[in-house]
Amino acid sequence: MLKKTIWYSVFTIAIAGIVVLAGGFYQALKVTTENSPFRPAKVAMTQTSGSPAKSELKNTNTLQLLILGDSIAKGTGDEKGKGFSADLPQAIKTDTSKDILVTDAGINGLESQGLLGQLQNGRLNKPVAGANFILLSIGGNDLRTILSLNPQAQEDEFKIKEDSYLSNLKQALRILRSSNPNAYIVFLGLYNPYEKTTTAEEVSLWQEWNYNTELLIESDHKAIYIPSDDLMKFNLGKYLAPDGLHPNSAGYLALSDRIRKSLESVIAGT
Amino acid sequence: MQQTPVLELKNIKKTIKGKEIIKHIDLTLYPSQIFGFLGPNGAGKTTTIRMIVGLIRPTEGSVTICGHSVAHDFVKAMSNVGCIIESPDMYKYLTGMENLLQYAAMNKTIGKQRVRDAVEMVGLQHRINDKISTYSLGMRQRLGIAQALLSRPKLLILDEPTNGLDPAGITEFRNLIRRLAYEESMTVFVSSHLLLEIQEICDTVSIIKQGTVIKTGAVQELLHEDKIEWQLNDPQKAIALLDEHWNIKAVQLKKNTVSARLGEPSLAEINELLIKEGLELTYCSSKQNTLEELFLGLTEGDQIV
Amino acid sequence: MFSLIENEVTKMIAKKRLMFVLIILVILISVFAYGQNRTLARTKAQLTQRMGITATVDWRKLAEQQLIDMKGRLDSPYMDAKSQSSLTVRMQQLQYDLNNNINPLDQSAAKFTATFMEQSIFLFLPLLVVILAADMVSGESSSGTIKLLLVRNVPRWKILLSKYLALIILEVVVVFCAFLLSALISGFFFGFGGWMAPVATGFKVLAGKLDASGVFNVQEWQFSLMVYSLAFFVAVVVGSISFMISVLVKSTAASIGIILATLIAGNFISFFLSDWTLTHYLFMVNLRLTDYLSGAVQPVDGMNMLFSVTVLFVWALVATFVSFLYFTKKDILV
Repeated sequence: MLKKTIWYSVFTIAIAGIVVLAGGFYQALKVTTENSPFRPAKVAMTQTSGSPAKSELKNTNTLQLLILGDSIAKGTGDEKGKGFSADLPQAIKTDTSKDILVTDAGINGLESQGLLGQLQNGRLNKPVAGANFILLSIGGNDLRTILSLNPQAQEDEFKIKEDSYLSNLKQALRILRSSNPNAYIVFLGLYNPYEKTTTAEEVSLWQEWNYNTELLIESDHKAIYIPSDDLMKFNLGKYLAPDGLHPNSAGYLALSDRIRKSLESVIAGT
Repeated sequence: MQQTPVLELKNIKKTIKGKEIIKHIDLTLYPSQIFGFLGPNGAGKTTTIRMIVGLIRPTEGSVTICGHSVAHDFVKAMSNVGCIIESPDMYKYLTGMENLLQYAAMNKTIGKQRVRDAVEMVGLQHRINDKISTYSLGMRQRLGIAQALLSRPKLLILDEPTNGLDPAGITEFRNLIRRLAYEESMTVFVSSHLLLEIQEICDTVSIIKQGTVIKTGAVQELLHEDKIEWQLNDPQKAIALLDEHWNIKAVQLKKNTVSARLGEPSLAEINELLIKEGLELTYCSSKQNTLEELFLGLTEGDQIV
Repeated sequence: MFSLIENEVTKMIAKKRLMFVLIILVILISVFAYGQNRTLARTKAQLTQRMGITATVDWRKLAEQQLIDMKGRLDSPYMDAKSQSSLTVRMQQLQYDLNNNINPLDQSAAKFTATFMEQSIFLFLPLLVVILAADMVSGESSSGTIKLLLVRNVPRWKILLSKYLALIILEVVVVFCAFLLSALISGFFFGFGGWMAPVATGFKVLAGKLDASGVFNVQEWQFSLMVYSLAFFVAVVVGSISFMISVLVKSTAASIGIILATLIAGNFISFFLSDWTLTHYLFMVNLRLTDYLSGAVQPVDGMNMLFSVTVLFVWALVATFVSFLYFTKKDILV
């Protein structure tokens, strides 16, 4: 009888189903409550060349470079994976015989608030105190949030964001200076990777951002604002990574070289 | 009768939303009895039936079927019952046979053969595999009866069972009930408005009014109460005499007519007295009572509460 | 009991409700899959326009680049310990995509199957269950068939239990069919694979914030299994509550209306979750169990998986209890 067979198959599916689903349910509960039994394999934390122990030695034969900021500080986009932390020392080496110790504390996605927090939590006190050069790349992530807004909201939001960013930057600089009055601070200005799709209004906002940053940085006579947008504007195809946002290997090299050029006399004099 | 009662209602009361629907009912039924339950609309017939089969809980009192209490031994009690309550509503999206099979599946003692027998008993063999949405009222009624018969019940409760049946159908039904009662010792409890039918089928009858049974008795005895009509010159005197001597409550009809029901005293005796007392008796007739007249007489003037 | 349950399931099938539910499933899944397909095509076109053709076609380079970046981050002594797990998990996923030559943008039958149920669990699935459950008792009351059902030698509680168990069986069938249909229909659009791809889970809600420190990958089929199991649980809970309403209310339409109203109200009430603690205990706002699994949850203090599951369980228990109590005691006057 057809109806009987349908019923029996339905019933069997149902019983099997309940068992399977009960198992899945238990699994789901376990996964979201207790500490997972599947601990990710502990990834060996290899130290970079900027180990705190080494930076203790304020050896006159060593120059200490501290890199702070966002993903560009971190070197995201570089095929070799290092970005400034390899390219900049390499570039500086051409002007000096000393060894260069690099500490790279860049964090992807970092905003000015995060940078301030990093400096405040104290883990970077030693590298900051011992640095000869500090490279700073920050603000890109702060600014990018404005770009996704509609034009009407942009101007007001921009003012708010800019004020808070400048205030954070000011405080960050103060902390750096109080710990290390002698280091040379290099601030890398923002470039516009969205060249093709930026509106005229957005361009003027972004220029204002860079300008105000420059004003702030230059008020410290041992700090320098180095623009990157004039280098990148026509060379996006050559210097931009596949993600369309960060510099690629060539880009980092070009920027490192520019920084070196600006610091030429200073480096030689140390 | 010394047999165990098939149905016993003791001191049944039911209050719904503050209103006393059933005030007091006592009832005992025995095997092979065909019992009729009569009453005007709203008297409490269906309520009583619902209490018998456990659809409603009595506020007070007990229902016992074949010795098992409906309240405490539901399964055993109900194993002996088959019933139709008001209309036999069944699943419209199933066929007649599928409906019956559903009920059969609920009771292990009902096999496929029994189902087929029940179908034959009600004469639905040819339409049993059609969806009941295509059935006429009469067919649905027959299916309802079939459903009630499935478990070979000792007590068959039928609420308006001849509803929608044509005269041939009613006759068939009558024969079926008689057969079931006498051949299979079924007790049949019928509630109906078709008083003529009740009169033909049932051997005992209870008349219920406003939640109490006002009269119970064998049909023959009840009908035996003749109704007499006299035409006299002084109706009031006659009424007084009837009341004084035999405690008979007579009523005056039109102009000079007096009517009363007689049980025991013979008509001859009464007439003799009336004439002796000086009444001029011009006409006297005796009508065999019908249940309808008895019924209306007992319940007339009632509002539905 | 077996025959009683068989009776009830037969009735449901004959009433064509199950078929109705399955048809709705087919239609909705097809529409959803088709829509996703179109969105995917559009997204790819947009990316191409903005960043040059390399972004979409040459995804490998991008993925490899991202992997290198992440490895770098992982190596950093300044790496936040909490983010370590999520980073590792993301790396495993990228590595898998590269190894199997899967563009991360692309959709797969496996991904779709899980996503579809994640989106359906709090409204669409309950709706399907309500269609089945709301009628179970009120339908018999309104059509009068309940009389003949109860005047048999079967106690009332057994009859109600058979209905309840039949409902559970149907709920399993619905969840199972949802899975099957999702996988099949989306397979035509996106290919039938993707079942071994790594998916992140292991998120926790601690002190009102999403904690990703214990995150790890499971395979897509395991993830789907968990998602559908949670869906089944939600189905049983919503089914129990609908069942209760069906017992208490004589009209099927009113039954369905009441449940739908509460489900939709749940959507509005979720706005007040962070301010009004009492709302946490309503069943409607705890239906998004899969969000805890995938980390998509809007974290509210005190609401985590265990909490939601417990709330739902208690609701189901009380609803079932009320159903049985009321049904066995009530006078049938229809």
